[in-house]
Amino acid sequence: MVVRKRVNRSVAPLAAAVALFLAANPAKAETQGYVISWFATATYNLDFKGNCPEDRNGGQIAYRLRTLKQLGYADDVAKAIVQDEEHPLAKEANLKAETRAVVNGKPASIYNYPEAVPDPNLELSSGKYAYGFDLDGKTNPNDFEDPDTGLKVDNQLWRAVGCTESFTATPPDKPYYEDLTWNLMVDSAPGWSLRISGEDLSKDGPVKIVLDRITQHLDRNAAGGILHNMTYVIDPSPRSHNEFNGEIKDGVLWVKKGGNLYLEGEMPYHHEIALENTHMRITRQENQEIAGYWSGYLNWKNWVYMYTARPVNGEDTIGIYYALKKSADADPDPKTGQNRMISATWRMEAVPAYLADISGKIVATPASASQPLQKLADSSGE
Amino acid sequence: MLKRVLVLAASVLPLMGSPASLSSATDPVPAVVAPSPLRISPAFYKQSIIDIFGPSIDVEGRFEPEEREEGLMAVGARKVSVTDAGLELYDDIARGIAAQVVDEKRRTALIPCKPQSATAADDACARTFVTQTGRLVFRRPLTEQEIATKVKLAGEAATTLKDFYAGLGAILGDMLIAPDFLFRHRAIEPDPAKPGEYRLDGYSKAAQLAAFLWNSAPDDMLLTAAATGELHTADGLRRQVDRMASSPALESGVRSFFADMLGFADFETLAKDPMFFPAYTIKAKGQTQEQTLRTIVDHLIIRQGDYRDLFTTPRTFLTRSLAALYNVPLVELADNGQPDRWIPFTYPEDDPRAGILSQASFVALHSPSGRSSPTLRGKALRENILCQRVPPPPGDVQFNIVQDTSNPLYKTARQRLTAHSTSPACAGCHKITDPIGLSLENFDSSGAWRINENGAEIDTNAELNGVKFNGAAGLAKVIRNDAALTGCVTRRVYAFGVGAQPPRNDEWKAIEKKFADSKYNFPGLMRQVALSSMFFALPSTQETAK
Repeated sequence: MVVRKRVNRSVAPLAAAVALFLAANPAKAETQGYVISWFATATYNLDFKGNCPEDRNGGQIAYRLRTLKQLGYADDVAKAIVQDEEHPLAKEANLKAETRAVVNGKPASIYNYPEAVPDPNLELSSGKYAYGFDLDGKTNPNDFEDPDTGLKVDNQLWRAVGCTESFTATPPDKPYYEDLTWNLMVDSAPGWSLRISGEDLSKDGPVKIVLDRITQHLDRNAAGGILHNMTYVIDPSPRSHNEFNGEIKDGVLWVKKGGNLYLEGEMPYHHEIALENTHMRITRQENQEIAGYWSGYLNWKNWVYMYTARPVNGEDTIGIYYALKKSADADPDPKTGQNRMISATWRMEAVPAYLADISGKIVATPASASQPLQKLADSSGE
Repeated sequence: MLKRVLVLAASVLPLMGSPASLSSATDPVPAVVAPSPLRISPAFYKQSIIDIFGPSIDVEGRFEPEEREEGLMAVGARKVSVTDAGLELYDDIARGIAAQVVDEKRRTALIPCKPQSATAADDACARTFVTQTGRLVFRRPLTEQEIATKVKLAGEAATTLKDFYAGLGAILGDMLIAPDFLFRHRAIEPDPAKPGEYRLDGYSKAAQLAAFLWNSAPDDMLLTAAATGELHTADGLRRQVDRMASSPALESGVRSFFADMLGFADFETLAKDPMFFPAYTIKAKGQTQEQTLRTIVDHLIIRQGDYRDLFTTPRTFLTRSLAALYNVPLVELADNGQPDRWIPFTYPEDDPRAGILSQASFVALHSPSGRSSPTLRGKALRENILCQRVPPPPGDVQFNIVQDTSNPLYKTARQRLTAHSTSPACAGCHKITDPIGLSLENFDSSGAWRINENGAEIDTNAELNGVKFNGAAGLAKVIRNDAALTGCVTRRVYAFGVGAQPPRNDEWKAIEKKFADSKYNFPGLMRQVALSSMFFALPSTQETAK
């Protein structure tokens, strides 16, 4: 079986970029089950200098120093406050920073009133590459190029956040704060399932992809990852039920123009995953896991809300707010002309799982469930 | 505290190794000696505490290691003592239990009386507690001197600490580290029915029965039967054995026996490399033993099944974590966040994973952390299941070929063992172990199913005593029909109850026959052993000298 290894980060033509989705254990009319084991903003930052030549955003420390200076603290005092959480002025300074919005002449929360704070004017990514898809079918100056496929990409979310420290990562490395918050929630929040059905998943051809919420949280393995081959029950609520038609081509599963996607989530990481004009590209990994990218348009304010709601994010929230606002590229407000949606790409990873419906019937099995294991679908319980 | 404990240890430990006897200096010297005292196992300790004080008491702490002899910890228990360090461990556990028993939320239920004042000594109430609880803890009534001493100590502690219950806690802690609790003494007395001969006294018989059938201390009825002499009569003994064999507590005895026979104490030091075997989680590790014990209890007690069918039964119990390890589906419809629940599971007909030998409690327990081992599995099968001895490897043996699972020349365990056993020093023993163990190679070190190893297809053709078979399913059938299987478990049951091997006499042969006639009904075997005259037989001084 050919599998997807780590891709050379130079331009990778489509034909050489990926591997067979499934070559082992060919089976007819099968449904393979997975649970989403990791999910985050798709990042590609091998060349940070190329992406962000000014390198002026910095991380949490730089952001706090800038803010404190704007509030009138002297250079040395601002540094002392940033370096020492117990500094006598730290509490007061933090309160001032978080309530520096001015509403009706009074201090107010910057999170509730971001537009009552001046735009910090973060540097936006000006690099060549970003993961994603051509969502609008048009060529324009803002297009990136996908490092795996070489195709042009609409991903203005990456343009907005690509120069911030939290997103300085390239798969398999994960953006730190999103990784942190995912891991905070994965042991308690119900997960998401993914089913892939087709006549013969070992061959190219049409497939159906079904996404749902599950009723249980994910279980970890002994190495801290997500356990393979666990059985989960699909939440029967139609709210998070999504069906897409896709195609396996040259071993890669594609969904193009898949319509809307909605998955209910849990705070404080993703309270929802909502995409319009959904695109997907999924490949199989050496260890039976799958990984890939979901792309589409999302409500940029919702993304900022999720970002802000995390217990930690380490970045200039107001700067991020304005960066997304300026980069939004779809769904203009008829009154203001401000775009309400932004092209975006998520990276997803999933591990094989058994999936059952709420009646207990197994509706999907891991790809590794070979004979005699396949017979077990009807043998659980008594 | 430590100093006090060690002083106590020094005062009691010399008594432990010598044969216990209640004979007075004026009695004639007996021709027999009392059997060696047996140190109680951690499982027995925990079950006793549950039965005496209830399941809400946590028994926390590490126990002194046990020692396996003749295939059982229960036999090794006659040779182990309590070290200084071990006594500290027992003391920690005992103080923890005592504190829970006398704490405010439990004292009303567990202390059989209420003191005049909770902040002062109360000898009458302390006496009631010592008399009633001490009888259960020591598995015999306390002497008047023992009671008086403990009441006095409780009073002194209560007065000093201005806390009656602290005084009770102190003496309960002392009782739980006393040799009368940590060791099961078997005292002898003159047998009035056979002048000049001796027998185990009633309380020793009661304790032996309870340990064997319930893995616990005798209950009130059994101690009463001991006091009245009922256990010295055939009818009285039968009444008590039948009562015990029909009690739900029999499950504890059966569990304890099989945990010992199958070597589950070794799980304490078992580890798997999480990078190679990520599905072998801490949770799964803890559950593999329980899976097998539940399978055993269900098959042998609930279904009253044939012992031999334990090795072929497709029925078992799984949790979601174990199902993931075995790569089988197991649906749990409970709400998110509920603890793992045990769910009955039946493998399809002809599935190779039927029977307890295919469970992780066997294949994972007898594998090193990073690879499977047909040799260790074969050895365990011979020794634990068939009671056959496998010699240890020579001291200078080289394991490099066997351990190098990345050698491209030897991709499978079969290939590595073939290369390894070309040495004449190794070949002899590997002929005994490997042909059986290779049949289980579809299970990796963690117990997960596999078809290939390092890309090479696994060959599970095997042979036992000239019978050729394939795979785990084939092994299960061959083991089920091996004559050594039932003989082994019969001897192990006796040794578990008595702490010694059974004599080869007519009574023993009759027990073996009844076991076969009952279609190898296991509870029936335990009953027969408990009712046999051999169960309470005393070793002669000559036998002991041997």
